[in-house]
Amino acid sequence: MAGPLALALVLGLASLSFIMRATGALLPNLPSAVTERTGGLAPALLAALVAIQLTGPNGLIHLDVKVPAVVVAALLATLRAPFIVCVVAGAVVAALLRAVFHL
Amino acid sequence: MRAKWSMREILLAATPIAVAVFVFGASFGVLAVAAHLPAWSVVLMSMLVFAGSAQFAALGVIAAGGSVLTAIFAGALLNLRFIATGIAVAGSLPGGRLLRSLLAQLSIDESYAMSVRAGAPGPPDGRTLIVTGACLYVVWIAGTLMGALLGPVLGDPKRLGLDAAFPAGFVALLWPMLSGRHAVRCAIGGAAVALALAPFTPPGVPLAGAAVVGLWLAR
Repeated sequence: MAGPLALALVLGLASLSFIMRATGALLPNLPSAVTERTGGLAPALLAALVAIQLTGPNGLIHLDVKVPAVVVAALLATLRAPFIVCVVAGAVVAALLRAVFHL
Repeated sequence: MRAKWSMREILLAATPIAVAVFVFGASFGVLAVAAHLPAWSVVLMSMLVFAGSAQFAALGVIAAGGSVLTAIFAGALLNLRFIATGIAVAGSLPGGRLLRSLLAQLSIDESYAMSVRAGAPGPPDGRTLIVTGACLYVVWIAGTLMGALLGPVLGDPKRLGLDAAFPAGFVALLWPMLSGRHAVRCAIGGAAVALALAPFTPPGVPLAGAAVVGLWLAR
């Protein structure tokens, strides 16, 4: 990615994140009905990101090495394995399946 | 009941978290460089954003060929929860609005959780948030820097399965959040809506749909 584009990505995300973290100090009296709902965003978005990562260019689920990688990561996460273990295990599963079956 | 954690207690409790954050930062650095982001921008992102899951989400969009706007959108949506945590800690932070807005930048999931634990059964403890957040900030940047330097040495990202590291990482971030019925139904709803929209809409729309569903099913 070109430098200016990468800078736009960093500054865009940074400024929005700054505003969100500062909101509490600036507007401490937001109605709790609003803020309680933000708790649903992270699980919904992360699950959506998992799903989108498993789709192909046509937007449909694409059965490739990422699917078993996710299953292994989910199993490890269920066993409370640390983040890095899940990530590395997922990558290793994908790499091995590619190397062995030339997927 | 004890009034407060000592500095020593805070640092001791923060140490294992710091190790985990360092490794998380390193994996982010490796993957970001593999996704062809310039190394300086990867480190700058960790310095200015300081939010693992948001940075990971933005990077996942870029690695999958999405636009910069979609990536910012995905990361920013994940950070919306900091509005809620910011309100929870605002009263515990010292200084006027400006100083408190700056100190609130030290809230990430881990430092917030520690401040809640230290302050229980009362409001979150501001000092724990500041000390833990500052330690984790340094460690997060150091980890990212190491990953960004290490990344190019590793070789072809696809042969190493690094593309599968993204969904695996999202699963690993998601799983600990799935305590309670609300979180589970938000996750299922978000994934279902994203999959339903993905074949018909440009990138970004499925995530927006998932965000709406998450807000809707949150309570």
